[in-house]
Amino acid sequence: MTSEILSTSLVLFQMMCVVVVFAYLVTRTRFCAEVLEGAFSWKNQLFLAVVFGILSIYGTVSGVSVLGAPVNIRDLGPMVAGFLGGPIAGLAAGLIGAGYRMSLSGFSAVPCSIATILAGLVSGLIFLANKRQFPTIPVAVSFAVIMEGTHMALVLLIARPFSEALDLVSQVAIPMIAINAAGMFIFAFIIKNLLLEKKTREERDHFQGELERKNAELQIAREIQASFLPEHIPDLPGYSIAAESFPAREVGGDFYDLISLPDRRVAVLIADVSDKGVPAALFMALSSMVMRATAIWHHQAAGTVRDANTMIAAESKSGMFVTLFFAILDPDRGQLSYVNAGHNPPILMRRDGTCEILPATGIALGADPDGTYEEKTVMLERGSILLLYTDGVTEAEDVGHRQFGVDRLISLVKESREFPADRILSGIREAVTAHAAGAPQFDDITLLVMRVGS
Amino acid sequence: MTIMSTVLEVTERRQGPADLLLLKGRMDAATAPAAEEHLTRLIEGGSRNIVVDCSELEYISSAGLRVLLSALKKLKQCGGHLTLASLLPEIRKVFEIAGFHRLFAIFPGVSEAIDSTERTQGS
Repeated sequence: MTSEILSTSLVLFQMMCVVVVFAYLVTRTRFCAEVLEGAFSWKNQLFLAVVFGILSIYGTVSGVSVLGAPVNIRDLGPMVAGFLGGPIAGLAAGLIGAGYRMSLSGFSAVPCSIATILAGLVSGLIFLANKRQFPTIPVAVSFAVIMEGTHMALVLLIARPFSEALDLVSQVAIPMIAINAAGMFIFAFIIKNLLLEKKTREERDHFQGELERKNAELQIAREIQASFLPEHIPDLPGYSIAAESFPAREVGGDFYDLISLPDRRVAVLIADVSDKGVPAALFMALSSMVMRATAIWHHQAAGTVRDANTMIAAESKSGMFVTLFFAILDPDRGQLSYVNAGHNPPILMRRDGTCEILPATGIALGADPDGTYEEKTVMLERGSILLLYTDGVTEAEDVGHRQFGVDRLISLVKESREFPADRILSGIREAVTAHAAGAPQFDDITLLVMRVGS
Repeated sequence: MTIMSTVLEVTERRQGPADLLLLKGRMDAATAPAAEEHLTRLIEGGSRNIVVDCSELEYISSAGLRVLLSALKKLKQCGGHLTLASLLPEIRKVFEIAGFHRLFAIFPGVSEAIDSTERTQGS
């Protein structure tokens, strides 16, 4: 008895293995993919009908004797075909399975065949009622249970003699219901998984597309932002000037400018908008235009910065601010009048190696609408170097979070003070890159070097 | 070698007449939004006296300054106060460079900061 249960279980297990492999292969065909997409075509219907018709025939052929009673999964194929493709595919698969069953004759041939046809038809109708979707796993499995119950009822109603029918049903009803429910569970599980996979893939593709589009937009933004920086450094006899800005992300908040004023004078500025990325870049665009307009209007440092502050403060709703060093150079007299609005103090290196830093003379722009700005003046002798920089330079960190630092920057300028401006700039840039040694650039980096005496 | 933290821990607690916000770690572009969330929630929830304890704040970038400035502006608009307490020397330097030490009320310790809010409330 025990060995009989064991061998029967083994046969049932094998049957389920066939169902698993079958379900896996069929659901991965192009036809099935199209069906799951919701595309109706006669070709797909035919495919479902034939394939699940064959599964129905297999269900009959593979029928096993469970404790002496014949148990089969003939109805499974048509049920799945109906759930996948609708009543036409279900009915056709059912007819194939039923046709084969009729050919075998026997006293229960008619009710069994009717049950198989009904299985395909009704599951197809459920598919339609479910807005042409494969039903949920509980619905699919419940339907299999009810369908097999109906199958048993049909046998009792139609098969004669009744006593034999009753005898058969009382033996096979429970194993039939159980095995078909298990088969349906396997199909529904695999199909639901497939649909979930498909949905995940679609979402991923969607986000990837979105990401690519955003990146393309950021590249354009980067180009637009670069166009806000001076296209070329104005030619200033007796001075060599070099400047560069490297945003940490696609766009950044640093900027510099050189604005030609009347009487050969030039406005020189460097600025750093709070925060990074797109918000900083938008505020940078606003601030750089405000600076250009006010510089041309005033020709004078303190007035320029005061007006710019009023305008920028009015736009700073979210606490955005701009640290700025703004200077007007009279190249003939070597006189630099400046306002430092909360910016990292620029370094003025004299020819003899003594250095002066130009400290803040007012608060960062945008922070305080009533901010006051003092103007100071320094004389630039021949051989002097003025270095303007943003905090991305001095706060560049190595892997151990050690910052590049102001002292290192000062000594670099001191060592290279005999070089032209562009060489001093590239030297600093290389030293900062080497310091960060492969660590991602954390903040925007901007440098402007001016050397008196080209 | 001490490794600087890369995160910001924000702890909120009610102390006397003020809401105390403890910032611990590093306040930069990546971490400042967490502090901003706390500040926004406090202000929108009706808090008018906020004391920010900076005793364990190791680093602040301009993104961090922006968040504090934004909170200061919002509070000023509705008659509230934002005070800072216990700034480490490096943090104080960042405030000084930007000129923010003249904008914020900065106190050496939390208790002084809270006392000051009591005084302003009493007056």
